[in-house]
Amino acid sequence: MKKTLCIGLICCAGFLGCVPVRPWQKMYLNDEEMALRERKLQSFESNIEGYREGAAGADGGKSGGGCGCN
Amino acid sequence: MTSLGAQLPQDTSKVKEPVEIDFLFNYYEQEGDHAAVTGGLGTQELTDRAGKIVVSVPLDSVSRLEVNTGLNIYSSASTDRIDAYLSTASARDARFRQYYTYSRKNKQKGKAFSVQVGGSVESDYISRSLALTLSKTSPDENREFKLSARAFLDNWIIILPEELRDTYPVWMRTDKRHSYSLGLSWAQVISPRLQANLQTEMVVQHGLLSTPFHRAYVQGQNLPKVERFPGLRWKLPFSLRLHYFGGDRWVLRSFYRFYMDNFQLFAHTASLEVSWKMSPFFSVYPFYRFHTQTAAYFFQPYGEHLNSASYYSSDWDLAEISSHKVGVGIHYAPLYGVLRAKINLFRRKAIFQSVDLRGARYLRSDGLNAWLFSLQAAFQIH
Repeated sequence: MKKTLCIGLICCAGFLGCVPVRPWQKMYLNDEEMALRERKLQSFESNIEGYREGAAGADGGKSGGGCGCN
Repeated sequence: MTSLGAQLPQDTSKVKEPVEIDFLFNYYEQEGDHAAVTGGLGTQELTDRAGKIVVSVPLDSVSRLEVNTGLNIYSSASTDRIDAYLSTASARDARFRQYYTYSRKNKQKGKAFSVQVGGSVESDYISRSLALTLSKTSPDENREFKLSARAFLDNWIIILPEELRDTYPVWMRTDKRHSYSLGLSWAQVISPRLQANLQTEMVVQHGLLSTPFHRAYVQGQNLPKVERFPGLRWKLPFSLRLHYFGGDRWVLRSFYRFYMDNFQLFAHTASLEVSWKMSPFFSVYPFYRFHTQTAAYFFQPYGEHLNSASYYSSDWDLAEISSHKVGVGIHYAPLYGVLRAKINLFRRKAIFQSVDLRGARYLRSDGLNAWLFSLQAAFQIH
């Protein structure tokens, strides 16, 4: 747990040291493959993983409720 | 929804956004030997055919209404064994769901919100849900914060194993299962080729959290008990998503999640996907996912529960397991669409925008294995 918290804090610190990116520099970031979410087609697999594993959430999909699953 | 960093047109009042329609299909089949219906031992053979239609309609230049309708039809050899004596064919069931989402954005202030209502119905479970999402984007669109809240007000239609229906469990005082979640998300552009998303989601569930027709066998006893979970569960996952555009043709999409809950289940999940853009309109993406978890403290394999245990389950979804998923997908989206047609009746133009195919193999350490195949066809109506 402590190790995970440390990693999380390091990630947050990394975010704060980012380079400001201007709109004309975003040609790569605007590509649809770079979208910060799982693909629409992945939603079926995420549901199945929610049924077949005990862990869920923080991935844009099911986190609990809505089905007779875990 | 565009990715963080997308440029917005200056005069949005004159931009007519199209109606978007997505058709999604999935075929899933699995086999294994640890069915919870039969106490953690028995066939887990199951096939599931799922279909989903998502229609997104622009109401004006700043708001949209989305209707998401889905249907699953599945047959399961283990569900057939809720009754102690075998039937002639595997049991079949269906699950229908529908969700309505209204979203609105204020581009000048960089704010957006959405409200979703909906529910699902299957033979033994009814669900109703309400969700609210608020987001704020920085003026330079390099940062986005999102807050989401969701409530599920569900209830079981209780079906007990046949041999236990004369003695209703005294601890089963409710058929309700309520779930509440609060999610926080921070998306950040790190460099012209790298962006990331940190996310967490606090979940609390209470009510009948176990599955009424799952059996649990106690040491030295022939008659099983009905699976029993604690009446309260909290979950706390943290995730990091990191996407990097390398060279001119490939995108690296990575994901990591740490999970913990009060069932003493801890889990790590990591996935990696490399999207290779063979042309501006065609990409192939192999992917790999690994998951590992510890067992819930009240899990025991078949026949190993103690009679004195307060809670008991032989559902191997809560066991100490690891899993591997490997697969490949393709995405084809020509600039002017795969096909175009005029709909003269409505003076509109329909474009078959893109097609996606995806196949995966799932292997779990206890022997459960599965195949998944998915197809998506995206359309726009202008």
